[in-house]
Order: sequence, then C-alpha cells, then structure tokens
Amino acid sequence: MNSVESVCVAGLVAIVQIGAVLVGGPLLLGVMRKVRSRLEGRRGAPIHQPLLDLRKLITKQRLRPFEASWVFGFGPVILVATVAAVAAISPLATTRPPLGQSSDFFAIIFVLLLGSVFLALGALDTGTPFGGMGSSRAMTVGALAEPALLVAILAMSIPAHTSNLPALVRIGLAHPVVIASPARLLALGSFLVVILAESGRLPVDNPSTHLELTMIHEAMVLEYAGPDLGLTMLGESMRLVLLLGLLVNLLVPWGVADRPGALAFVIGLVALVGKVLLAGVAIAVFEVFSAKLRLFRLPELLAGGFILAVLGAVTAVVSR
Amino acid sequence: MSSSPFASLLEIAAGLVIVCAVVTLWRRSLSAIVKTLAVQGVALGAVALILGLHQHDGVLVGVACLIIAAKGAVIPTLLARVLARDPRSRESTPLVNVPASLVGAGALTVLAYSATRPVVALVATTAGQLIPLGLATMLIGFFSMIVRRKAISQIVGLLLVDNGIALVAFLATAGVPLLVELGASLDVLLVVVVLRVLAAQLWSRFGVFDLDQLRELRD
Amino acid sequence: MLAIALLVFPAGAGLVAAATPWRRWVGWLCTASLVTVLVLAVVLSTQVVRTGPIGAFGSVLRVDALSAFMAIVIGAVGALATCQSVRYLDNEIRIGRCSVRHASLYAVLVQGFISAMLLAVLAGNVGVMWVAIEATTIITTFLVGHRQTRGSLEASWKYVIICSVGIAVAFLGTVLVYLAEQHVGHGHATLTWTSLLTVSHHLNPGVMRIAFALLVLGYGTKVGLAPMHSWLPDAHGQAPAPVSALMSGVLLSVAFYALLRFKSIADGALGVAFPRGLLLAAGLLTLIVATSLLIKQRDYKRMLAYSSMEHMGLLALGAAAGTPLAIAAVLLHILGHGLAKGVLFLTSGELLHVEGTSDIDQIRALLVRRPALGGLFAFGLAALLGLPPFSLFVSELNMIRAETRVGLGWVAVFSLVCMAVIFAALLTHGRRMLLGAREAHEPVQATPAIVTVPLVGALIACAALGVLAWPLGALLHAAARVVV
Repeated sequence: MNSVESVCVAGLVAIVQIGAVLVGGPLLLGVMRKVRSRLEGRRGAPIHQPLLDLRKLITKQRLRPFEASWVFGFGPVILVATVAAVAAISPLATTRPPLGQSSDFFAIIFVLLLGSVFLALGALDTGTPFGGMGSSRAMTVGALAEPALLVAILAMSIPAHTSNLPALVRIGLAHPVVIASPARLLALGSFLVVILAESGRLPVDNPSTHLELTMIHEAMVLEYAGPDLGLTMLGESMRLVLLLGLLVNLLVPWGVADRPGALAFVIGLVALVGKVLLAGVAIAVFEVFSAKLRLFRLPELLAGGFILAVLGAVTAVVSR
Repeated sequence: MSSSPFASLLEIAAGLVIVCAVVTLWRRSLSAIVKTLAVQGVALGAVALILGLHQHDGVLVGVACLIIAAKGAVIPTLLARVLARDPRSRESTPLVNVPASLVGAGALTVLAYSATRPVVALVATTAGQLIPLGLATMLIGFFSMIVRRKAISQIVGLLLVDNGIALVAFLATAGVPLLVELGASLDVLLVVVVLRVLAAQLWSRFGVFDLDQLRELRD
Repeated sequence: MLAIALLVFPAGAGLVAAATPWRRWVGWLCTASLVTVLVLAVVLSTQVVRTGPIGAFGSVLRVDALSAFMAIVIGAVGALATCQSVRYLDNEIRIGRCSVRHASLYAVLVQGFISAMLLAVLAGNVGVMWVAIEATTIITTFLVGHRQTRGSLEASWKYVIICSVGIAVAFLGTVLVYLAEQHVGHGHATLTWTSLLTVSHHLNPGVMRIAFALLVLGYGTKVGLAPMHSWLPDAHGQAPAPVSALMSGVLLSVAFYALLRFKSIADGALGVAFPRGLLLAAGLLTLIVATSLLIKQRDYKRMLAYSSMEHMGLLALGAAAGTPLAIAAVLLHILGHGLAKGVLFLTSGELLHVEGTSDIDQIRALLVRRPALGGLFAFGLAALLGLPPFSLFVSELNMIRAETRVGLGWVAVFSLVCMAVIFAALLTHGRRMLLGAREAHEPVQATPAIVTVPLVGALIACAALGVLAWPLGALLHAAARVVV
C-alpha cells in the first residue's frame, strides 16, 4: 500500500466515521424518544423526527439577540467541529483510525470540553438571566464530573500502560480478562455517570422539560434560534453518540475492525451501530423509571462517580 | 496486570467488597444499606471460596460457605428485623454529608494503599496485592461508624470493619487457623445478636433509635 | 491438670448457677469456686516458679509464671467481687428491681466472664487468647446493662461498639503477626507464644510495625488507653458495682497482659525503640485525659473509672521502660490496683445502695454517719493514691526508678506531676464525701459484716504486699523474665 493510497483510505475512514456520528446522533435521539414514548404508552414521533426538525431549523432565517457578540455564534460551530474532529480519529468502527497515535483519551476529552465551554460562554454572552443560570449549573456539573472522568481514564490507563484510545480498545480485544478487571469496570461505571451528566440526561438533567426551576442544559440554549439552535442540537446529539460509542467499545470491543480491509470496517460499523443502539435504548428505559435528582443532590451522584473512579485507579495500582 | 481467570475473579470479588462499602456510604435508605451489606458478605465468601478452590483447601471452602450463610443471610435478616420496627428508616442527617464522605472514602482508600505497602511486599501472591482493598473497607467502616448516627448504621459500620479485616485475613494468609477463624466468625455473629437485643431494648423501652438521643452519659 | 482445674471450677459453678434458680447458696458456691481458683493459682505459681512452664491440650493452654500471676489477680479480685455479688443481688431483689431469673442470669454471666478471663491468661495460643478476650466483651455487655436503665443501656451500647471495633483491630494485628510468622516458617505457623518468641528476631519488621501498632490500638481499647477510652467511664459508672470491680480490677489488666506479651515479641522484631515509643505515647495521652477529667468529676463511680485510666496509663509507661525491674513493678501494680480498685468499687456499690446517689456533692460526713463504710472508702482511696504502706506505693516508686534508669526521666517527672494533680483532685473529692459533721437527727449506721470483712481483708493484703516482699518476690521475678 503506497502512501497516497493509505492517505485516501484514512480520509475515507474519517469521513465515514464523521458521517456515522452526524447521522447517528439525531437518529439515536429519535430512537430514545420513541422508546420512551412507547414505554409510557404513547405512540411517539417517528424515529427520523429529529432529522426533520434539524432540516427545518437549518433552513430558517438566522436570528440573533441584539446584544450578542461573535462568541454567541461561535459556540454551536465549535461544538459541532470539535465533535466531528474527535469522531474522525476515535476508534469507533476500527481500532486503526486515521491519526490513531494522537487519539489520546485525555486529549480527546479536553477537545470535547472545548465545545461545552464555548456553549456556556455563548449562553453568558447575551446577559439574560436564564443563560447565566444555565451556564453556571452546567459548569457546576462539569466541574464535578471532570475529576471523576480524569481519574477514570487514569484507572483505565494504568493497567494498559497507555492512555491511547485505540490501544485501550485493542488491549480489550486481545485480553478479554482485562475488561473484567475491577479497575476497568469501575472506571467505565464512572465514565457512564459522567456521560449522563455531561450530555444532560436523567437523572442529572431532564432533556424534555422547559421548566425553568430544574433545567440545566435547556436554559443554556434558550437564546438560540434557527440554524444556531439546529447546530447546537446536532452537536449535542453527536457528542452523546460519540461518547456512547467510546464507552461500548471499551466495554465490549468485539466486532470492531482490528485489521485493514473494507469488509472488516463495514462489520465494525454495523457492530458499532448495534451496540450504541442497545446502549441508547438502555438509557431510555432507565430514564423512564427514574426521576431527576434535585440539584443539590447532584454532587452526591457525581461524587459517587468520582469514588468509583478512585477505587478503579487504586485497584488498578494494587493489581498491577 | 494479572491475566489468569483466577486472578481476575479474585479481583472482581475483592473489588465488589469495597464497592459495597462505598455504596453503604452513598445510600441513605437503611434497608438498601442492609441489602448492600448482604451482597458484601456474599462477595467476601466468594473471595474465600475462590481461594479455597484454587488452593484445593477444603477447610477454606467450608469456611467460605459458613461466611456466605452468616454474612449473606443470617446477619442481614437479623438487621432487617430490627429495621422493621423503625418507621423512619433513613440515615437523613449524617454528621458529614454524602459527597464529602464519598471523597473521604476515596482518601481512605489511598491511605490504605500506602499503609499496607510493607505487607504487600511480603506477600508475593496475586491475592496479596489486593490486601489494601481489605484495609480500605475497614477504614470506610470506621468512618461510617463515626459519621452516622443511627443505631443500625453503627452496626453496619462495625460489620464493614469486620468484613474488611476478614478480607485481609483471607488474602494475606488464606485464613488463620480454623479454631481462631471459627471463634472470630462466631464472635461477630454474637456481637450482632447482642447489638440487636440492645437496639430492641432501647427502642421498646425508651423509643430511641437515633444515637444522638443518647446523651445521658458525658463529662 | 491444675491449669484445667483453674478453668473448670468457675465454669462449673456457672453451670450450676444456670441450672438452678437463684439462691444465696448458689452465690456462695460461686465465691467458693473463685477462692479455689485463688488457691490453685497460688499452688500453680509455686510449681511454675520451681519447675518451669506447664502445658495442656497441646498448645492451647500453657502456664508460665506470668499466666500464673495473672490467675492469682483474677482469683483474688474475682473472689471479692463474687462475694459482694451475693449482697448486690440480695439488695436488688429486695427492692424489686431484679427478678430471680435475672439474678441467675447475672450469676451465670459473671462466672462466664471470669472463666473467659482465665482462659485468656492461660491460653498458649495468641488466637485463643483473642477469642477469650472478645468473649469477655460479649459477656460483660449484658452485665453492664444489667440494671436496664437508659443510662446503663447507653453505656453497654457504647461499650460493645467501641470494644468490638478495638478487638477487631487487634484481630487484624494478630493476622499480620500470623502472616509474619508464616513467612519465617515457610508457610508453617502456629501462633503460640513460645514459637513467636523464638522466631521474634526474624519476623519481618515492616509487617510487625503495622501489626504492633494495630495491637496497641486494639487491645489498648480494652485496656482503656486513649484515644479509644471513651467507653470506660460510662461502662464502669453504669455497671453493677461487683462487675465494675471485676472490669476495672482485672479485665483492663488482662488486656494489658496481652500487650505485655506482644511487646516482648515486637521488641525482638523491631528493637526496643518503636514499641517503647508507642506505649509512651498511649500512656502519656491516657494520663493527660484521665487527669484533666478527674479534676472536675462529680460522680464517684466515674471518678474511680478515670482513676483506672490513670493507672493503666502508668502501667503503659512502666511497660515502655521495659526492664525486669519495671515489669516486676508493673505486675505488682496490677495486683495492688486490682485489690484497691476492687475495694473502692465494691464500697461505692454499697454506698450507692444505701445513699441512693452516685453524686459526690450529695454525700457528706460519711466517716461519722457510716464509720465502717467511710473508713473502707478512706483507706481504699489511700491505697489507690499510693500512700505507704500499700503496695501501690512500692510499685509506683519502682516504675519511676526503672523509667529514670533507662533514660526516661522526663516521663517519670511528667507522671509524677500528673499523679500529684490527681492526688489533689481525689483528696478534694474524698474530703467532701468523707468529712463533715453529723446532724443531730441522723443516726450512726453500721455496715454489715458481709461487706466489711472481705474488703478489710483485701486492704490488709494490699498493705502486706507493700511491706513484705517474700510472698511474691520470686514469682514476680520469674514472671518479668517471661516478657523481658
């Protein structure tokens, strides 16, 4: 394989992975809503409804608050861009993504956080009370979730001697025992808590309410309209799919393409879709049966996530 | 990284013991805490069972079965009966709030790790590497006895301490001599019975379930 | 044979008490069993001093001079306490606070308690000793709560929780000792005192350091050493007087005996400095706590309890010095303290019964109103404070001499200062209770001989030990040699 060809393949892989996340994000949202409504005894909107919403929002006229600066418009763009960039180099369908050696777990997480930070800045930008409240709450959650996430990654990296994501997935494929080690399990448990918190799902935030007392994320994007709102929605859903994809690949790596080749890649893609779908459905089912935690109880949940990660790290160190 | 199924199973069982300890700090509902304790008892028994099977030690397997029966079934049932008398069975006002105690538990775990390094160095087996988890469980038990104010919570804390010590004993030496082992297990059972009787007396005679109400004796 | 007989007599009396409803003769039978224990222990100790240690049941029981000496202490204080138990139960039954069934339960538990303590000191195996000491916790819980008042239930709750934790920590220490021994013996370990002492120089120092720290914390809880002492004043204050006498006079010392044994092993593995440092820290802290809380004490039973803490602190300091002279003094102090504290607790039990209060402020002019009881209390206090001729004077003096000789002069000075403060505090409290003028309408009341005769006997014994060295000299010397 010469270098031009390999660059082309890498580009293709990147494009397919970005495309999968781009389309998969809104679709997963649709599936989760469908599952919820079915379980609650409603028929619910069709699965592709979020895509339709997205098309509608994107074609609308761009409307921004009078006081808004460039930061306001920047937020959604950065969000989508960072998620797409990460999606290109993450081990989603294959363990050999383009630029795989730079796909470091810590780096990826911080690139993703960039989007959240810009969203919060954008919400603050207009100076309305709702935006500020939403930002402050989201940042509180983020500040609590972050240490947990860092320690969780640490716990996964210690036994593997690397924090490179593709390598972590590969090790899981090669030595299934590693996945069953308490270090990895505890860290993944903590990772799940963080994903729920960061993407504004129950029990941290209720994605389907606009009750001002409780909302976190929705308050932040209240000022957005039209294409900006569409991009925000898209970015959020993409991030959920991306994080879930990483989680399932770390937990059950089977199916991921570990060899070059089109067939293996397609199998990997199908497996990824299946696993993420299952995870999404599981979260939706969980959401039906759980209530949102009161805001001041949130630290307990996130501290729980943190302690799981710490325990994971300690077991990783002791069982090394 | 250990990679045999034996080591992996052992790690999971020992990990479950300490996760249960943390969960008891996390939850407020006393009945949920008692259930967690039962899970922990079974996990502790599993550690002994795995070790016993691995070393072909029939006595240890027997002890494991006893532990599962006593700590997984008998003691939780005893506690649940006491719980049935108290209508407000929630640990609503611990001295230290839940997030802080969870962070404290994390700190104790790290402390346990650093404190047991000489012991871990002496025991070169897979099991020996997990000793810090036992000590951490014990320290979390101490912590929970100090910050929790319900009678049942203190019993739970005591049992956490005991389970942690038992875990260390199994991991470090594959169990002390049988006579001592049986004495120790029997003692725990008796202590729980004694505490249960006392709790029942305090509740039926004086309506006391919260240890903050016991303030008669002090200097 | 004698060693087994030592256990059989109190346990057998306990079985009889369990089988028959409470009668006075059952109580006397129990007392007789304890007197037998005392006699047997004395016989045994002369035998041990002459011929060396005796074993029984393989390694489960093993009697050396130290065990025999502790058995003498248990027998002496136990005989006093069981004799006064008869009086206590009579009183409780008469005023209707205690049913016959309850009385019989009390007698059974006391016998079980004493048997468990005997087993602890006679055990040749560390694990068996641990089980026996833990058993004392469980048994005494119900004895502490025997009066069934809110206060006594609170005290027994604290007692069982704190002591169970302490004893669990001691178990962890024992496990680590076992681990270290296993390592030396390549997988083979017996946990017997003799084998541990033989290999002590080869035990892994890192593990032994943790193990000894845990053992000091764990058994220290039962000894009443700070910082795990908070159960002690509550339990001793709330328990029936004979039980307080047993707990304070013997149980604390039995736990301390465990520490002494472990210290000799730790000395071998770690050198003298680390065990000495730990014991010094625990002892000094205990002395400080006891002193500060004694000054403003208002309850005479709690006052006695804190004084027990003080003496345990002194014992810890003496053990920290660790020379044969110091250990012999420590052992003599254990016996003297057991007798003096037993007399005081039993007197205070009688006092509580006749006066109906344990408040220092509400009792006055004892010496003129109840000359016998007041006299007992005064002489007991004098013994406890270490006035000559009582044996505590000799033992305290020797502990201080030993401390000075090993370069712990500052410790000696510090403990002297604490003792002086406590002396003043106890004297003040005692003066308030004892002195004063009788009011005209108050009669002079006698105290029954069942109380006075045994207690006076105990005080005379305590004084005799202080004056004459011959009955114990050889035994103390041999016992100290066991752990130095």
